[in-house]
Amino acid sequence: MIKVENLYKSFDGVQVLKDISVEYEAGKCNMIIGASGSGKTVLLKNLIGLLEPDSGEISYGDRKLSTMGYEERKLLRQKIGILFQGSALFDFATVIENVMFPMEFFTDWSPAQRRERARYCLEKVNVIGSDDKYPNELSGGMQKRVGIARAIALNPEYLFCDEPNSGLDPYTSILIDRLISDLTKEFNMTTVVNTHDMNSILEIGDKIGFISKGSLLWQGDRHSILHTECQELRDFVCANTLARNIIEGRQK
Amino acid sequence: MVRNFLISVGRYVLFLKMVFRKPEKWRIFWRQFITEADKLIISSILLVGVISVFIGGVLVIQTASNLENPIIDKMYIGYMVRESLILEFCSTMVALILAGKMGSNISSEIGSMRITEQIDAMDMMGVNSAGFLVLPKVTAATILSPLLMLLSLALGLLGGWIVVEATHIIPPPSYITGIKAFYNGFYIFYSCFKMSLFCFMISSIAAFNGYYAKGGSLGVGRSSTQSIVITSILILMADLIVTQLMLY
Repeated sequence: MIKVENLYKSFDGVQVLKDISVEYEAGKCNMIIGASGSGKTVLLKNLIGLLEPDSGEISYGDRKLSTMGYEERKLLRQKIGILFQGSALFDFATVIENVMFPMEFFTDWSPAQRRERARYCLEKVNVIGSDDKYPNELSGGMQKRVGIARAIALNPEYLFCDEPNSGLDPYTSILIDRLISDLTKEFNMTTVVNTHDMNSILEIGDKIGFISKGSLLWQGDRHSILHTECQELRDFVCANTLARNIIEGRQK
Repeated sequence: MVRNFLISVGRYVLFLKMVFRKPEKWRIFWRQFITEADKLIISSILLVGVISVFIGGVLVIQTASNLENPIIDKMYIGYMVRESLILEFCSTMVALILAGKMGSNISSEIGSMRITEQIDAMDMMGVNSAGFLVLPKVTAATILSPLLMLLSLALGLLGGWIVVEATHIIPPPSYITGIKAFYNGFYIFYSCFKMSLFCFMISSIAAFNGYYAKGGSLGVGRSSTQSIVITSILILMADLIVTQLMLY
């Protein structure tokens, strides 16, 4: 479980996150949603330690991130898998080398064992027969899949996904969403997904936190989001035709 | 401006501290070291070689045209060419050329990894990205660059000999006698030391600029240009200081 308490973050005097308190549970797809520029990515970067909060606490289990030294953070990071918005696959490595990369550093497995594990992860995300291709030879959807395979290579306890659907067609988006959801449940990971894609939210959002102008305005799940009283969230949800039709249909 | 300069120096020192942390696995470090040696040093051989041959030839012609006094032995032309090559050309001039080639290569490679979040991905895995990406480059450039200096010297002398043979601007035996005269081994050490120092500066400053690049592809281009400008100036300044310290 990840616990965030009274988190504040500002850049050059501009308050980007204000008093965020939230808990992310294991085995669930926890979603951070909100419009562009609302502070979602800043929150995610604070969660994974790429940014330091101005005040407030982030705890992984019973350990506070702020009190962890370099080595402890390094150990924690080995328990974290991340899917970046642009996949962030290493250009210098092939698909299978990308997936084997964390194993090379943090396991004592033989090359054959690493390759076997990498193949297992690639099969999990349905990337078969592309082991020796370089990232620039793959489509956007394939890159995301390889990114997920790399993220789960070390059996992480925590999985963070930054806009996993950006730039993907609706069909591939749903496949990626389901993959994230299935892997979360199968490996009982604490998954945090940062998105503004309503289809994803309705598809896999077990726990949802809506951020607007740096504040956490609403928390709930994919069922309660459709009859929220929060006007800003209603505006956000109703920007999606499907969700608007559902809400309007209910009202009638 | 002074404040920004001091901040940059501080960040550079902290960056070097990250770079020189003990590698997670030595096996990975040596594999990367060999890759970087190929990318930075081996791939520079052709450029350095071609330039050295031509500069050696030009030095012979220029020196000969300035030493037409009949009482000065022609072998001094060979001697002066050799000393010019050892003392300045093969280290400082070659380093300035490498500042362009090696510096832009390192800076743009690391810079584009930064803006595509590949470095963030490494950090988030718990890998020391600065150590993994930069340490092999810096060590390969620093340790192996004296070989480039020695190669440049050999080819520069060869270039001079080709011109002497082709034009008979001076008698070839005088050139051969000249390049063997008054040999001082310390000058070779001095030149190798300078080359190592300059290549350390080139690789570390270019990596530093790339590592902290921001602002998309424009930022990568900016960091690459900045690396070349900064290292070129610093090489000339360091040349002056090292020469003063080691030769006087």
